[in-house]
Amino acid sequence: MSDATCSRCGQTFSIRSLFDLNGITYCETCVQKASQEAKQRGQLSSYVPLINKSICARCNTYIGSSSDAVQIGNLRFCAACGPLIKDWDYPQWLKVSLAALLLLLVVALAHGRKYFHAGREMYVGERLVKQGRYTQALPHLKETLLTAPQSDKAALLAAKAALLIGDVDSADKALHGHNGGYFEDANKPEFKEVNNLWTRATGALEKAGQASKLAQQDGKEIEAAQLMHAAAAGYPELPSLAFAAEVYDAGAAFARKDYDMFLAISKKQWSEHPAPGTAASVASALACKYAVTGDGAYRQQSEEMLAKAQQMAQGNAEDLKGLDEYFPRIRYRLDHREIITRTEYDRRFRNGKAASK
Amino acid sequence: MFFIPGPVIAALTFPGVIIHEAGHLFFCRLFKLQVFGVCFFRFGNPAGYVIHEETDNFTAQFFVSMGPFFANTLLCVLFCSAAFLPVWELKVYDPLAYFFYWLGLSIGMHAFPSTTDLSHLWAQAPGLAKKGNLLAIVSLPLAAVLVVLNYGRIVWADLGYGIAVGILGPIAIFRALA
Repeated sequence: MSDATCSRCGQTFSIRSLFDLNGITYCETCVQKASQEAKQRGQLSSYVPLINKSICARCNTYIGSSSDAVQIGNLRFCAACGPLIKDWDYPQWLKVSLAALLLLLVVALAHGRKYFHAGREMYVGERLVKQGRYTQALPHLKETLLTAPQSDKAALLAAKAALLIGDVDSADKALHGHNGGYFEDANKPEFKEVNNLWTRATGALEKAGQASKLAQQDGKEIEAAQLMHAAAAGYPELPSLAFAAEVYDAGAAFARKDYDMFLAISKKQWSEHPAPGTAASVASALACKYAVTGDGAYRQQSEEMLAKAQQMAQGNAEDLKGLDEYFPRIRYRLDHREIITRTEYDRRFRNGKAASK
Repeated sequence: MFFIPGPVIAALTFPGVIIHEAGHLFFCRLFKLQVFGVCFFRFGNPAGYVIHEETDNFTAQFFVSMGPFFANTLLCVLFCSAAFLPVWELKVYDPLAYFFYWLGLSIGMHAFPSTTDLSHLWAQAPGLAKKGNLLAIVSLPLAAVLVVLNYGRIVWADLGYGIAVGILGPIAIFRALA
C-alpha cells in the first residue's frame, strides 16, 4: 500500500502524498485544480489525504481497499463503524430529558407569572418615582408588596413615594411590613434617603401631636399654632399640616380677640376647602363679630353658614359629631353676644367635661 | 479564588453539559455532518463531547461550533427570567424559583464553545471574512471574545457569564416590558 497513481497526471507517488476527492485519487498539484473544477460544477470540493481513506475515520482501523468498508460522504469506515455512523440518533433518554426540560420551562414561566406581574409593577413604580410622579407610583408599588413584602427595593420605593406625597400610613405599612422595619444594608443610599424622609415626617407628626394637645388648653393657642407651623415646615409634603397650622392661627387670633383675623383665616379656609368644619369655623368667626359689633348682618351670615355646615355634614357621622360639639357654643354666642372659651362653656354647661375637639 | 475540581463542577451543573452536547449533535445532524462519537456527560475532562467530521462548509462549522452557545444562553435567560424576580428583586423565598435559577445558571455556565470548536471556526473565518462572508465577519469578534473567555475559565469566567446572563438578561427583558 506504499504507492499509488494520480488519476490526472498518471504519475506514481507515495500514498502519504496523495489525496482523495470524491472517490478519485490525485496528487497534491492536481487535487487543487480538480477541487476548483468540482466547485465550479457544484460538486463537493473538499478533499482528504488518501491515507485517511485507508483507515477507518472513526476507530482508525486499517481498511485499505477492503470491500466491507463503507463510504459515507468523503469518509471511509470499517464494517463495524459504518452502521453506527449512519444510524447515530438521539438516545431515547435524551429525547425524554429534552421534552422534560421544555415542560419545566413552561412550568417555570407559568410559575413565574405572579412574579412577572409583581416585578412589572415594581419597575413601572420605579420609573414613575424617578419621574417624580409619586402619587401614580404608589399603587404600583403597593401591588408589588402584596406579593413581595420582603423586597428591599419595593418597600423602600413605596415608602419613598408615600412619604413624598404625605401618606405616612402607607409608608409605615411598607416599611414595617418588611421584616418589621429591618433592612439588611443600612448604608444603602436608598435606605438612607427613606430613613431621612421617615425621620423628618415622624418628627413633624410628633410636633403636630404636641400642638394638638396644646390647642386643647386655654391660653396655649399661640404656642400650639407656632408648633403646628414648625410641623408643617418640617414636612411640607403633608398639606394637612399646613391646613392645621392655619386652623391653629385662627384659634390664636380668637385667643387674641382679633376677630377680623379669625374671620379672614376662616373664610380663606372655607374657600379653599369647603367642608362642614370650615363652614362652622366661618360661622364661629361671624358670631364673634356679631357679639362684639351687634351688627345683625354678621348674625344672619353666621346662621347661614351654620345651616350650610349642617347640610354638608348630613350622612357623615364624624362630621355631625364634630358639629354637635361646636354648634351649641356658636348658638350661645349668637343668643347672648358673649364670647367664652370652650373650657368656660364646658364648665358652665357640660358639667366640666372636656369635650372632644 | 478557590479551586473546585472540574468533575465536581460538571456534576453540579450537569444539565448544561448535556444540553451543550445535544446542541452540537443537533447541528451536526442538521447539516448532515458525520458524527463519530458522542458523550453527553462523564466525570472527566471534557465533561462531554461530540466528535464529528470536519467540513469546509463555514455555515455548518459556525452553527455546530456556536449553536450550543446560543442555545445555552437562550435557555439560561429563559429559566433565569422565571426565577430572577423572586430570587433577586422581590426576595421571595420560593424553593421552586431557586431550582429554576440553578437550572438556568447550570445551562448558562456551559454555553462557551470549547477551544477545539473555536479553533475550527478561527481557522476558516479570516479567509472568508476577507471575501465578504457576513457570518465569518460576525464570527470573528465573537470567536475572539470567546477564546479569551475560555481561557478565563480558570478564574470562573464561565460561571461569571452564566450569572451575568442570568441577571442582565432578565433585567433587560423586564425593563423593556415595564
